[in-house]
Amino acid sequence: MTSPSDVKRLIRETRRYEFADGLRDIQMAITLGIMGVVTWLVLQPLWINTLHEWVQKYGRGAAWLGLLVIFLAPLAAWGMLALMNVVRKRWLWRESGMVKPTPWIVSRRVTVLSAVILVVCLAFAVLARHQGWVEDAFVLRMLWAATGWSFGYTLIGMGRELGLPRYIWLGLTGGVLSTILIFLQLTFAQAALAFGLSWGLLLSASGIFTLRRAIAAKEAGE
Amino acid sequence: MSDEIKDLTNLNRLIHEPSRLAIMAVLSACESADFTYLLSATGLTKGNLSAHLSKLEKAGYIKVVKRFKGKYPNTLCSCTASGRRAFDSYWKQYSALAQHLEK
Repeated sequence: MTSPSDVKRLIRETRRYEFADGLRDIQMAITLGIMGVVTWLVLQPLWINTLHEWVQKYGRGAAWLGLLVIFLAPLAAWGMLALMNVVRKRWLWRESGMVKPTPWIVSRRVTVLSAVILVVCLAFAVLARHQGWVEDAFVLRMLWAATGWSFGYTLIGMGRELGLPRYIWLGLTGGVLSTILIFLQLTFAQAALAFGLSWGLLLSASGIFTLRRAIAAKEAGE
Repeated sequence: MSDEIKDLTNLNRLIHEPSRLAIMAVLSACESADFTYLLSATGLTKGNLSAHLSKLEKAGYIKVVKRFKGKYPNTLCSCTASGRRAFDSYWKQYSALAQHLEK
């Protein structure tokens, strides 16, 4: 029970408990999916025209009301966390108990390197635009690609530190998909939609698969 | 007496006890855990776990909050700052000793 390897195992199991049932993957999928769709939507001419009509009809307050749609992604993240808490308390974790994870899931090194990846990629894109090597749309596409690489690196770090190989695969696959975004001739809005949908699909597939396994294990234990 | 042997005598005995070490390991890895999780993770009995939690709480290493959720009691445990420091320092000493013994 108390050899160094047992203590390490206990620490690792507790740290990865939050991610063992796949609900966190689904939460991230919904958040990123909504973020991509909302970004795409608010940049559509149809949405902008509708908002313009509302302003003419109901005044400037309508524009602010229309802009509330940008809060959908954080609202979905928060709502999903609350829902996860209820599902776990009442059913999924009723027998195994509740754990509140530490705010920092990965080590400081991984967090800092993820931020560095994002900043360096964006700086490179801006520099390349300044030199005239690329067009404006490249810089905007890079915003999503760099976010994808940075997030992918965080997932790989999480997978390695918590001993969850699915996050390494997710990080790698998401990283490759984010790279493809750079080479497609997409507008900023289209790149946002592609980013949100690809990460959303990847994470929800992983979440559903893991959740099904967790439910099967729970039912087998009962 | 070698430094390692001196370290052995300096090990924090409150944490060195196997059950308490397991509890501290779990609580150091999260913000808080409830009684049910500690039971399933450590494999202790309810009485044993309660006794060890009381000792750790008395030493100021953990914080125990007892409350009711509806009709059911719910005990939430978390590591205090001094508990984290004590566990980290114990773990460093213990790992160094284990390494020395392996040589």
